[in-house]
Amino acid sequence: MSRNLTQLLVAGEGQDRPTVLDACKAIVAQHGELTDADLRDVAACCGVPEATVHGVVSFYDDLKHPRGRRHVSVCTGTACWAADGGAALGAVAGALGVAPGTRSANGGLSLAPTVCLGLCHAGPAVRDGTTVDAGPGAVDRLLAGATLPAPAPPAAIGGALSEPVLLAGGTYAGLRHALARMAPTELLAVVKDAEVRGRGGAGFPAGDKWQFVADADEPADGGGKVIVVNGDEGDPGSYIDKHLMERNPQLLIEGMVLAAHAVGAARGFVFVRSEYPDSLPALRAAVDDARAQGLLGTDILRSGLDFDVAVHEGAGSYVVGEETALLASLQGLRGVVSARPPFPAQRGWHGRPTLVHNVETLANIPYIALHGAEAYRQLSPGATPGTKLVCLNERFAAPGLFEVPFGTSLRTICEDLGGGLKDGRTIKALQIGGPLGGILPADALDTPLDFDALAQRGCMVGHGSILAFDDRTDMRALARHLMAFGADESCGKCFPCRVGLRRGEELMDRDGPVDRARLEALLETLELGSLCAHGGGMPAPIRSLIAHFPDELGLTP
Amino acid sequence: MSTTEQRAPSVGARFEATVTTTCGYCGVGCRLEAHVSDGAVIAISPAADGPANRGHTCLKGRFAHQFTRSRERLTVPLIRDGEPGSFREATWEEAIAHVTGELQRIKTGHGPDAIAGLASSRATNEDCYVMQRLMRAAIGTNNIDNCSRVCHSPTSHALRAALGLSGATGSFDDIEAADAILVIGANPTQGHPVAGARIKQAVLRGCELITADPRRIELSDLSTVHLSNRPGTNAALLQGLAHVVIRDDLVDRAFVNARTEGYDEVAALAAQYPPDVVAEICGIRAADIERAARTFAHADNACIAWGLGVTEHKYGSETVRLIVNLALLTGNLGRPGAALLPLRGQNNVQGSSDMGALPDTYTAYRSVDDEDVAWSFEAAWGVPLSRAKGMTIPQMFDAAVARDLKAMFIFGEDVAQTDPDTAHVVHALESLELLVCQDIFMTETTKLAHVILPASAFLEKEGTFTNAERRIQLVRPAIDPPGQARTDFAILTTLSAALGHDMGFADPSEVMDEIARLTPDFAGVSFERLGRGGLQWPVAADGTDAPILYADTFLVGDGRARLAALPYKPPGDEADGEYPLILVTGRRLEHYNAGTMTRRTGNLQLLGSETLEMHPDDAAARVLADGDLVTVRSRRGQIELAVDVTDRIERGHVFCAFHFPEVRTNLLVGDSADVNTSCPEYKVIAVSVRGTHDEPGIGTAITAGARSPSGAVPTGSW
Amino acid sequence: MTDATIACTVTVDGTTVDVPAGATLLDAARAAGAAVPTLCFDDRLAPFGACRVCLVGVEGSDKPVASCTTPARDGAVVDTRDPTARRVASAVVELVLSELPDAPAAHTELAAVARDLGVDQSALRWTGEVHARDVDDRHPYLVLQHEQCISCGRCVRACDEVQGAFALSATGRGFDSNIAAGLDEGFADSACVSCGACADTCPTDAITEHLLLDLAVSGATIEGTAT
Repeated sequence: MSRNLTQLLVAGEGQDRPTVLDACKAIVAQHGELTDADLRDVAACCGVPEATVHGVVSFYDDLKHPRGRRHVSVCTGTACWAADGGAALGAVAGALGVAPGTRSANGGLSLAPTVCLGLCHAGPAVRDGTTVDAGPGAVDRLLAGATLPAPAPPAAIGGALSEPVLLAGGTYAGLRHALARMAPTELLAVVKDAEVRGRGGAGFPAGDKWQFVADADEPADGGGKVIVVNGDEGDPGSYIDKHLMERNPQLLIEGMVLAAHAVGAARGFVFVRSEYPDSLPALRAAVDDARAQGLLGTDILRSGLDFDVAVHEGAGSYVVGEETALLASLQGLRGVVSARPPFPAQRGWHGRPTLVHNVETLANIPYIALHGAEAYRQLSPGATPGTKLVCLNERFAAPGLFEVPFGTSLRTICEDLGGGLKDGRTIKALQIGGPLGGILPADALDTPLDFDALAQRGCMVGHGSILAFDDRTDMRALARHLMAFGADESCGKCFPCRVGLRRGEELMDRDGPVDRARLEALLETLELGSLCAHGGGMPAPIRSLIAHFPDELGLTP
Repeated sequence: MSTTEQRAPSVGARFEATVTTTCGYCGVGCRLEAHVSDGAVIAISPAADGPANRGHTCLKGRFAHQFTRSRERLTVPLIRDGEPGSFREATWEEAIAHVTGELQRIKTGHGPDAIAGLASSRATNEDCYVMQRLMRAAIGTNNIDNCSRVCHSPTSHALRAALGLSGATGSFDDIEAADAILVIGANPTQGHPVAGARIKQAVLRGCELITADPRRIELSDLSTVHLSNRPGTNAALLQGLAHVVIRDDLVDRAFVNARTEGYDEVAALAAQYPPDVVAEICGIRAADIERAARTFAHADNACIAWGLGVTEHKYGSETVRLIVNLALLTGNLGRPGAALLPLRGQNNVQGSSDMGALPDTYTAYRSVDDEDVAWSFEAAWGVPLSRAKGMTIPQMFDAAVARDLKAMFIFGEDVAQTDPDTAHVVHALESLELLVCQDIFMTETTKLAHVILPASAFLEKEGTFTNAERRIQLVRPAIDPPGQARTDFAILTTLSAALGHDMGFADPSEVMDEIARLTPDFAGVSFERLGRGGLQWPVAADGTDAPILYADTFLVGDGRARLAALPYKPPGDEADGEYPLILVTGRRLEHYNAGTMTRRTGNLQLLGSETLEMHPDDAAARVLADGDLVTVRSRRGQIELAVDVTDRIERGHVFCAFHFPEVRTNLLVGDSADVNTSCPEYKVIAVSVRGTHDEPGIGTAITAGARSPSGAVPTGSW
Repeated sequence: MTDATIACTVTVDGTTVDVPAGATLLDAARAAGAAVPTLCFDDRLAPFGACRVCLVGVEGSDKPVASCTTPARDGAVVDTRDPTARRVASAVVELVLSELPDAPAAHTELAAVARDLGVDQSALRWTGEVHARDVDDRHPYLVLQHEQCISCGRCVRACDEVQGAFALSATGRGFDSNIAAGLDEGFADSACVSCGACADTCPTDAITEHLLLDLAVSGATIEGTAT
C-alpha cells in the first residue's frame, strides 16, 4: 500500500468509519457475496478508493469467493494433514458435490479449504457455519449436517512446573498491584528485568519493544499510542493463543492494560483470526466485563489511566500474523508485509507508535507485575525466563496443551506428557513452532525446549506447537504440503516468496528426482532474499528434510 | 542521479529521435520528451528533470499529440473563393501577395489603425514578439492583443498595481514548501492537472488546504474546509477572510508595517465584512469562513492559487487585489512556501503578454507612450512607432461592427468559439474587409477568413514558452509541419518582409537575442542559457533568474506593496424569475479550450460530449433525470446538451465547459466584463434550464455542423 | 523526526560518501556512483522493498540487505558487489522471468536488469506456471497486459504518490498477485485520469501504450527478427 493510502485513513480517523475489511465481512456475512455495487458502497462509506476495496476483497480467503447460504470448510493444516494425509477435503467435496473454493449452482452451499481451525489435537477438523467439529466421525457428521462442537483440548502443567502461570485464571491482581504501586517506568523496568522474550516466533525481548514505544513521540493529535494484540495464530498445529483467548481472556486483557500503563497507550486492539469462531465472542465478553468492572475505559481503577480495547476479526490470511501485515489488515487493507523501518513502535496503526505483541507474551505480564522479575526468571532456572505453553497434535496418545518451564526436554513433553504416539506408531520427526520451524528427527528428542538449543538444531520455539509425524509419513509429500502452504499464503509482495514458493511447490510436485543444487539455490534465494519471515522461514523445514531425509525427498546427489 | 537513465536504460533505441520540448497545453509548462519514428510523434513522456512537472504530466501533454497528423490539418494556403467558408488552394507566394496587397490597400485607404492583429497565447514568445513587431513596425499600429485578455488580464493588472510585476510571485516548488494553500476559483486537478497533482500530494502529506469554488471540486474532498461561495462573490469572501485575520489579530504586523501601505483603509473596510454578513452574501456558513481564515493565517507559510474563477468576472481584477491583500496581511510573500500562484490557462498566457502582444505595452509591460522605451524600439527597428494605445479584443470587435476596423490578422485563436457573446464576434468578423487567419485547423473563426495560412503546432516549432511561474523554457521541433504548412516564425517574418519590413532574423533564437537586448527583465536570456530547466524572469544579464520575487522589496512606488480597500460589488448578471439559475463555465480534464486539438485525439473517447452539471434538487424541480437533454437559455442565446445530476454543485448553480463546437457554451455569455481589463464575465451567467422535449419548436441543437457552410474541410467527422 | 541536514558517512565499494540523515543505502550507493540494479524502486515514490534486486552486502550483517529500504548509518561499509547479494539478486530476476509467458521486450527495465545481471531467459533454473495472457485494451491510449505484471507495485504507487488518483490496486495474493484499475473495470471506467504515470514507471510492458506496442511489432520486422 502506498503511504498516501494510510494518510487517507488517518484523515478519516475521527469520522468513526468502519474499516474496509469489517464492512466487506459484514456484507459477506449477510449476503454471502460482494457485488460491484457493494464494493462501491464500501469505498464510499469507508472513505477509501474503489480500487483499494477491490484489492482487499481479492486478497482474503473469506472474501474472494462467494459463499453459499451454508458454508463449509475443511482444515488442511499440517496437523490435519498428519492425521489423514489430507483426505478429508476430497471426501467432503466428493460427497457434497462442490469443488473446494466454489459455491453450488443454486447458491445453497459453498466449500473451502482452511488453515487451520486450531483443533490440531483432534484432526481432521471441519467447520459448518460457526460450529467446528473434529476427530473421528467429524466428516460423517458434517455430511449429515449434524456437526457437534469439538471438545476443548486438555490443558495441564508439566515438567518441573509446580504452579500454573499462563493456565491460571486471570484475576487482574497484577494490574491492581501495578496501578496502585508502580509508576510506568517502574513497571517497564521490571518487564525488562524479567527478560521476557516474545512468544510469537522471533523471541524479541519484550522489554526493549516496550521501551521503543514508550520513547516514541506522542502523536501530535493527542490520540495516543496503540497496543495491538496479534491474535492471528495462523501456525498450523498451534492452538495456544486460541486457548488463551477463549479460556483465559482476562489474563490477556490484564496484560494489555499493564502494557498500556507502561508505554502510555490510549487504546488497544485484539486482532483475532476468523478461523477461530469461538475466540471473538469470548474476547468481547471479557472486554465488556472488564469495562463494567472499571478495568478498561477512563480512569482505570482510579489510577488516571485511560485505555480501552476493541476486538477485530480477520478474514483468512496466514501472513497477516506478521506484524506489519497485521497492522495493514487491522486498518482494513490488504494484509501485505511492509519493509521495516519504520517499525510499528515508530509508525504503526494509523501512523501511531504501536506495541504489537503476541497473545501469550502479554499473558506473561500479570505474573511479572504481581510477583516481580526474579520470581519470573526462577520459573525456568538456567533457561529462558518464564514458562511456555506447548501443544501436541492428534498423533499423540494424549494430545493437549501443556505449560512447562523452558528447558524441558522434548522427550519429557512427547513421552511423559503426550504419552508417545497413539496406535503403537512411532515418531518419525517433529515439527516445532509452526510451518517455518525446522523438522527434528526422532533421534533428537533429548533436545531441550529453548530458543538457543532448538536454533542449534535448525529449529525454533516458534509458537510452541509440537507436531509429530508418524512412521508412515511420506517426507516428499510433507515437503510438497509445506511448500504448497507457503505458496498459497504468500502475500505476494516480495518477489522471492511470491514466485519462489510456487516454484518450490512445483519442484516437489513433479515426478522423479529433485535437482538438489537447484532446490538449495532456491532455498537460499528465499532465505536471504525474502522481505519477511514467511519466505525467509519456509526453507527451514525443507532444509531439515534435506539433512535428515534426502533419499525420501528424491534428491539428486 | 538521473532517473531517466535509471528508468529506461535503452529507451533511445526504440525511437529514431527523442526531442525534449515544452508542453503546448496549459500554463504549468511540463517539460516533455517527444519520441519520434517515421517522422511522426509515437509517444510523449514527461521529462524527469522538468522543474514544473518533475517527471509527470497529464493526458493532454502525454497523449493528445495525434492531432499533429490529423487528416484535417491545414496543409496548404487557402483563399476565399466566392461565399464565406468556400476556399480555393493557393501557393504561398500567391497567399502572401494577396495578404500584403490587401493590407497595404487598407492601410493606404484607412490608415494603419484600421488593421488589428491578435497574437496567440498558444504561440511561442518569439512568434508573439514577431507578431507584435509586425503590427507595430510593418503595419504601424498598436492594435495588437492576445487572448490573455479573456482570461488572466485581471491578474496581470492587479499584480502590477499591487506588487510591481505581472507574474506569479513564486514557483510551483512553493506548493511543497507551503503549510497551507488556498485554492480559489480554480479546479487545478482538471484545468492544470500536474499542478493539481502536486497540490494533492502536498495535502496528502500534511499541508492544509482551503478550497473556494461554487463546485465541490476534486481537491475539496481533501480540504480542511471547502467554501462553496456563490458565483461572483469571491470579493466578499476575501473580505470576510481579511476581517477574521484582522479581528483575531492574526495580521503579520511586522510585515505589514515595514512592507505595505494602505493598511488602515483596508482594515476599516474589512470591518464591514464580519463572517455572518459574508456568509449571507456568499451562501456559506460563517463558521467555515472563520475556520478558513484561521487555517490560512496560522500557517507558517501559505500559498494562494487562483484561476479564471477569480478573473473572469466583472470585478475580477479587484478580486485579485483582495487576494494580494490576504497574502500581504499574513506576510505570505517573498519566501519559499509563501507565494501567489495564478494558474495560467494556456501554455503561453504569461509569455504572450510579456512579449508585448498587448495594445498598450512593449515587452515586459512597458507602456507604448513611454518615450524612452518607444525610442529604443524605434532605434532597433528603424521605423517610427505609434505612441497611441491600440484596441483591446472587445474594442476590435466593436470597431469591426462599426466598420472602423477593416482588417484583422488572427494568429492561432478561435475567437468565434472561445470569446463571449459569440453572435457579436461572428458579426464583427463577417464585417471585415480582410480576415487573415493563421492556424492549424479549420475552426469556427477560420471559416470566416479571406485567407487562411497553414501553420505549425507546438511539436513542430522552435522557440520558448513562459509558464505560470514565469519560467521561460525551450520549445524544440520534434517533427516537420505537414504538407506545405510552415512555422509561424517563417510565415510572420516572410509577411513582414513582403510588407517592406525585413526583420532580419535567421531563426527564433535571434528573436530572443533581440528581446534580451531590448528588455532589461530578459537581459540574460538566451536559448543556450535556457538549457533543460529554463529561467524564471526577471533574468539579470549574468543569467541569474528569480524563482521568488519580492524577497526584500516590492517594485511599486517606494518599494512598499499596495493594499487595496475595495468593497464587494455584485456581479454583472444576476438570477431572476426568468433566468433563475447561475451558469458557471469552466474546463474538463480531457479537453483543452476550443478542443481543436484534443477532439482530434483519443481524448474524445474518454470524454465525448459536454454535459450540464446540476444539483439533484434543481433537477427534481424540473423533472429532469440524469442524461436528459436540456435547453439552456441566457439573455444572449441558448444551447442544448445533456444534464448530469450531481451533488458536486450547489443548488441554484449549473456548470458546463466550452470544449465542443456542438455545444457553443459561449453563445450564452453576455457583454459583462472586468471593469479594468475588459476580461469577459464567463463565470456568472443567469440562465434558465428546461427539458428540451418540454419545449416544442426547439428540437435541434445549435451545432457547428448546422452553422458551418459546406467548406473545403469536412466538419463534424471527428 | 530526522534532521535532514545531518550527514552520515558511508563507504560504498571503497568510496566514501556523505549522505543526509534519512538517506538509504541505495542513496549512498548511487551517490558513490555504484550501479545497484532495482525493479520496484522509483525515486519519486516511497521505497517499497519488494523486488529484492537491490540487495547489497553490509559489513557486520550476516546476510545481504535491501539497499532501498535500509537506512544509511554513519560508518556503514557497503559492498554492492557482495557475491552472495549478487547471487541472490540474479536468482530473484530468474524467478521473475520464469513467471512471464514471454521474455520481456528488450527496451524494458526488467530486460535491462536481466542483461546487467547476466540472467538468460533461455536458461532459467526454475520454470513452471506462467501468468495467463489477459490484455485489457479498452482505453484509447493505455494497454494493461496482466501477464507481464511482476507486482512491483510501482504503478499503484505512482497513481497514489505522483498523481493522487488512487485508481489502481494490487490484487490477489502470492503468485496470483496482479494489478487492477478500479474494480477491474478498465482504466477508463475507474478513477483513472489517464495521466500515464503508471505506464512511465512500469518496468515491463504490463502497462504501456497502444502506439508503442504497434511500434514494437513493426520494429521487430525492421530488425529482421521476424521472417
